[in-house]
Amino acid sequence: MESAHPSFPIRCTEYRDGRGLVKLRVVVRTTYSHGRSPLSVACCLPGAFVTLLSMADQANFEDDAMQYAPQLYSAALRMTRNPADAEDVVQETFLKAYRAYDSFAEGTNLKAWLYRILTNTYINKYRKAQRRPSEVELGELQDMYLFRRLGEQSGASESAESEALDMFVDEDIIAAIESLPENFRLPVLYADVEGFSYKEIAEMLDVPIGTVMSRLHRGRKALQRKLWNLAVEHGLVEPTE
Amino acid sequence: MSGCEHAVEYVYQYIDEELTFTRKTRITMHLRRCGHCCDAFEFERTLKAKIAAGGKTDPPPELFTQLRALIQQERNTEGPD
Repeated sequence: MESAHPSFPIRCTEYRDGRGLVKLRVVVRTTYSHGRSPLSVACCLPGAFVTLLSMADQANFEDDAMQYAPQLYSAALRMTRNPADAEDVVQETFLKAYRAYDSFAEGTNLKAWLYRILTNTYINKYRKAQRRPSEVELGELQDMYLFRRLGEQSGASESAESEALDMFVDEDIIAAIESLPENFRLPVLYADVEGFSYKEIAEMLDVPIGTVMSRLHRGRKALQRKLWNLAVEHGLVEPTE
Repeated sequence: MSGCEHAVEYVYQYIDEELTFTRKTRITMHLRRCGHCCDAFEFERTLKAKIAAGGKTDPPPELFTQLRALIQQERNTEGPD
């Protein structure tokens, strides 16, 4: 990537150094520099169309990134469904993130950046083993599946459905998420558990926003069916189908 | 399309706060009039919160030490730029 403008005495070039780190080379015409560093000159130049982001410092990596380790581990565990694999994925993610931290633009979303590395690490590591991505389709399910099933319960009072959700324990929620095929599990995990926006999820999974929305929609219905099936198995509801 | 069908179609985008202002307002107006849709939306919102709370697992305490050691090791193996 190279950006330059004829009226600007500055040229930025992105390149990779010997270790594969992405770096930015800033060149400033000498008449403007007066012995100052190119970056300090670049920062002083007028003109709204150039946004110079300060690059993150590798020395601060642990302080900045460690706060996200628990969330990243939890997400990795939902993806791999195995604690040892989850630790592997998080360690690899941190190593890659540390190596590339020079290229992370401060002020942008660090959490989303780390999740994107996590997603790529998981996909590269585990899709290879599966040979081809599992583009599993789910059968057609009614909208608001669980709400409707619970509403059909005999003796269910008005607006009792939300209270009925109390019967599900954390283990049920985890089992329901982990029961989803991968192409539905990741969008549901990112939207419902991690609270990312559709745009952020689309970037992480490298698919269009429309695909995120349809997978999320169908994935949530499938998750609701799994919760319903669990409730039936546990004898908490009367089967109606 | 009835107000209920329209609302149900956009229920997830509504609770995910991904709707345009106009569409969001139209649904909010419908929810004020329709108790059934109001219950349904409340249900989906409660479920989303429950998934967010229940879908997380704490890491083993040694994860932090492992990660710090990993970064330290990487730092030590780096040559001067």
